[in-house]
Amino acid sequence: MAIFADHMISWMVAIPFVGIVLLALVRDQEWIRRITLGTSITEFGLSLILCLNFDFTQQGLQFVERVAWMPTFHIQYAVGVDGISILLVLLTTLLCPLCVLCSWNSITTRVRAFMSLILLVEGAMIVVFTALDLFLFFMLWELTMIPMYFMIILWGGPNRSAAGIKFVLYSLTGSLLLLVGILGLYLEGGHTYDLLVLSQHTYSPTVQFWLFLALFLAFAIKMPMVPFHTWLPDAHSEAPTAGSVILAGILLKMGGYGFLRFCLPMFPDASAMFAPYILWLSVFAIVYGGYMALAQSDLKKLIAYSSVSHMGFVTLGIFVFNSQGIQGAILQMFNHGLTTGALFISVGQLYDRTHSRAIDDYGGLHKPMPRFVTFFFLFSVAAFGLPGTCNFIGEFLVLVGTSSTSFAMVLLSMGGIVLAAAYMLWMLQKVALGEPNTKAAAVLPDLSKRELMTVIPLAILVLWIGLYPSPLMEMMDASVTNLVEHMATISPQMALISSWP
Amino acid sequence: MSMFALIPLLPLFASLALVLGGARWREHGHRVGIPAIGLSFALSVWACVEVIQHGPISISLYRLFQSGSLIIDLGMYIDQLTVLLLLLVTGVSGVVHVYSSNYMIGDPRYNRFFAVIALFTFSMLMLVSSTNLLMLFICWEIMGMCSYLLISHWSERPSACRAATKAFLVNAVADVGLGFGIILTFFTFGTLDIQHIVSQTQSMQEQTINVLEWAGLDLHVYSLTIIPICILIGAMGKSAQMPFHVWLPFAMEAPTPVSALIHAATMVNAGPFLLIRLSPLIVLSPFAMTIIAVVGAVTALFAAIVSLTQSDIKKVLAYSTMSHIGFMIMTCGIGAFVAATFHLLAHGCLKAFLFLSTGNTLRTASSHHSHVDTQHGTPSQAPTSLYAGAFILACLPPFIIFSGPYESVWIAQNFVSAKIGFWIIGLTTVFFTAMYLFQGIISIFQHAPVKPDPTNPLSKAAQPQIFSPAHLLGICIGGGFMAMVLLAAWTWFAQFLTPAFSVTTPRAMEAFEETSPGFGPWIILPLFAAIGGWAYALSRYRRSSHPSAKQSKFMQTLYVTFLNKGYFDELYELYIVQPTLRFANWLWRIVDVRGIDAAIHMIATSSLLFARWLWRVIDVQGIDRAVIGIGQHSIGLSRWLWRVVDVRWLDHNMSEMGKRADAAGELLQEVESRTIQHQLLVMVFWLVLATGILYLLI
Repeated sequence: MAIFADHMISWMVAIPFVGIVLLALVRDQEWIRRITLGTSITEFGLSLILCLNFDFTQQGLQFVERVAWMPTFHIQYAVGVDGISILLVLLTTLLCPLCVLCSWNSITTRVRAFMSLILLVEGAMIVVFTALDLFLFFMLWELTMIPMYFMIILWGGPNRSAAGIKFVLYSLTGSLLLLVGILGLYLEGGHTYDLLVLSQHTYSPTVQFWLFLALFLAFAIKMPMVPFHTWLPDAHSEAPTAGSVILAGILLKMGGYGFLRFCLPMFPDASAMFAPYILWLSVFAIVYGGYMALAQSDLKKLIAYSSVSHMGFVTLGIFVFNSQGIQGAILQMFNHGLTTGALFISVGQLYDRTHSRAIDDYGGLHKPMPRFVTFFFLFSVAAFGLPGTCNFIGEFLVLVGTSSTSFAMVLLSMGGIVLAAAYMLWMLQKVALGEPNTKAAAVLPDLSKRELMTVIPLAILVLWIGLYPSPLMEMMDASVTNLVEHMATISPQMALISSWP
Repeated sequence: MSMFALIPLLPLFASLALVLGGARWREHGHRVGIPAIGLSFALSVWACVEVIQHGPISISLYRLFQSGSLIIDLGMYIDQLTVLLLLLVTGVSGVVHVYSSNYMIGDPRYNRFFAVIALFTFSMLMLVSSTNLLMLFICWEIMGMCSYLLISHWSERPSACRAATKAFLVNAVADVGLGFGIILTFFTFGTLDIQHIVSQTQSMQEQTINVLEWAGLDLHVYSLTIIPICILIGAMGKSAQMPFHVWLPFAMEAPTPVSALIHAATMVNAGPFLLIRLSPLIVLSPFAMTIIAVVGAVTALFAAIVSLTQSDIKKVLAYSTMSHIGFMIMTCGIGAFVAATFHLLAHGCLKAFLFLSTGNTLRTASSHHSHVDTQHGTPSQAPTSLYAGAFILACLPPFIIFSGPYESVWIAQNFVSAKIGFWIIGLTTVFFTAMYLFQGIISIFQHAPVKPDPTNPLSKAAQPQIFSPAHLLGICIGGGFMAMVLLAAWTWFAQFLTPAFSVTTPRAMEAFEETSPGFGPWIILPLFAAIGGWAYALSRYRRSSHPSAKQSKFMQTLYVTFLNKGYFDELYELYIVQPTLRFANWLWRIVDVRGIDAAIHMIATSSLLFARWLWRVIDVQGIDRAVIGIGQHSIGLSRWLWRVVDVRWLDHNMSEMGKRADAAGELLQEVESRTIQHQLLVMVFWLVLATGILYLLI
């Protein structure tokens, strides 16, 4: 058991790749799906074991593994989790089996390739969230882009090639900046890629300024923050369901994770300096995303723009630098993964039936598809943060955190929530209630058992986290406290901000 | 004591069972809901006895979360105020359950209906007993969601869907106020526990908030002035106060029992309850109190006048609720929280009774249409109890307000100038209330009898069944409260509630305690006003003239304005909803599509063009041409070389060379071997030097 217990994360990294090798040996499509599902569920089981063995009271990294990889260049294979990354690992492994389930019947061509891509993304994402070496981080960060690109252009909608290229161009620009930032860190931080060493190092203000800017832009594009967001609606709406779920549920979280892992601990002064601008940009994103979503007539684009709005809450929470804000932001990332993933799965279920994403093509679905409408309703109200569902806790914490900085921001962000309620209810009214707009919409079959299996876990989690978020909060509590304190010790200006109650 | 947690939890369990069971319950949904609510009611009665004997009960449930200093512990706090509301909510909800088990027969979503009303009841029960403002807010919103689900119950009707969305969105806007108020409360008090907040209010009076910090200015406002106003905004949404009232008349799209539930037990009562619950906080700010009173008074008067002009009995009742809640809020605003509580309870019982009676009548007359003008029930159906209920409803609020102690409270609160205004508005409202209630009842029941529509199967079959259980219960509760009033239960009531308000301002409390409730001289006035309204309605009915037929132009305009409910819906549609949607579309087109995307396309296109240009100019025209040129030249060169060198020169010279070679061989022999070695050495030296330079360079 020692080999298992000591190398938990390496096992988690290895298993998706083992799965890919297995897939290469099988010809039968049904078995390809089963093997992928089995692999991803095993992965989820492992991450649950990881969570159970995780010591919540400890602040630092746990399950750390280090092996020299390219000693000449000071590159090592180093992984480990703390309270922040473990939640994102959990989210990744949770969503992947659901992605497999939701593409069970909708992907009929090149099944093996598609399933391999899902597993590839999963493996890469786990490394991204656990990597303690910047070079490793960067490599796998780049790697996540490739499967997404292929998913979009091979299985996507009608405008897939344009969307795919847009996605790649945006991502590459971000990656370039990330590379610059990482090389800068390597040169300034004493010729090492080790994250722990780099975060202990103190950087001069000028260095902080430039490196922060490079990394911030890289993460802001991934996030996406407002001026860099236009790749998102296209990529989301053209990608196949599983692609959208992975993109919205997991890939966007890399940006937020980057802020927490790099920007705050390494460049506290620069963070404090830029914070007011970033905060206002986030508030703008929340309101702007809401307005954008209100203007959409395409279901997937509406949800994509709502993601822009939700991610605004994440950056808002991160850059207020107090524990409520940061905890709220992490929770919001997790919850956004759940609800937006769930919404994309629901829309995918509709798309499988009618091959239409236009809101006007539906209507009155409560009659032919009562089960579907129940779940769709739950996920929609969760997405605009109805109290009692998961998003509310995250948003409330972020708002409480923000209130220490500015009341105007709190009020404007709440306006964003009202907009969210407006577009979600408006969409529900058009899709689920009333009379069907087309003949086809009146006779759609309700959810099958497999489809129910896809949405039920999400529904349970949405309600559970909404009514009992303590377990998740405790998981990250120590790490967040550590982060807030770390920033407070480095920068006196920060101490002023985070000392509030 | 923790068993009292079951009071809200039983309806929740019932709701869960119905949701999870789904279609398996068939037509037996009510068999889950009714026992659960009944048991809750029984437990509430027990809790009431406990509270009377041993004082408030507190139950802690679990810790929602902890983040830094923000700790949210869920729990229940049942004091005198809560226990009365528990009784009201479980009682009315129970009656509504029993009533709907008949009313909703044949509905395709029968079980869903019961699941949602049980959840609705749960959230209201949890709201009134919550210890924590965040918990209160959660229940507050879940209640909003339930109302959405119930209003859109007949979701085939587009109007019902629109009404549901409207109700939720209007509430969402108002809830920004409440949410912001809660965040401010945490900012000020460092806790969200209601008991802690209430006990700390005195020490927070000097705390200020800079409301213009975003603009870089200094404008400090007392926290205790801002927080009550924010909370009021939330209450205005849920309780349909102006200008957030537009959703309530539309909520009539819901089945009639739901209206009874929304108007009597849950939803609209949450607003006054919140104000009463946080009364120790509110009374500290005279400014906020004035605003509360004004909002209440304006709504009370406006809604009373509007309901005079409506011809739809359900709309009449809806505006009547608005008016009554407005009255309660006004009562809160002048510091008469006990009176507001009493009014809340009495109004709840009577309004539930009126709605259920209306539902019966509508059901018997024709299916679900509810226009007063088209209602032709038989005169025998106008029960005296309905008149009695309406009469009490009309007279009740002034009855309490003007009975004794509050006069002195007003004076203590420095409301002397405002007093006259409230008196006039109050009395006018009473007059109109009596008038519209009477008018509504008369026009339904006193029309010439028309034979019931024989094609409508409901008209005969459903009537007797519905009548018996629901009416009996309704009459019991209505009668109970009549008796309470008649037996001057008011005195007991005020004493019973006093502990719950023990921490209000000392000045007001002293004044309150000095004068015991009783029949002051002013009590005659509202009674006269009510009877006057009644008589006026009757005389107008006798004349049976159209209200606007003979009146002046001004009166007609006024009438039309109020007939259209003050044009609020149209104004909101025109100035808020449409501009928002247009703005969103415009923003999307201009900024995202034409702005950012176009910029990115421009960058892409321009870099493509640049690349093409580069390719043309440098690759094609420059290097390629050069290469081709070199190629062509080299061909020419080689030809020339061939011609000149090979043919003319080499060939020509070959023979010469052959001749000279012999001569050269002879010459070489003369060169010394030492010279060759020397030249080799020089070559090696140069090689080493070049390597060294190369090494240094690299």
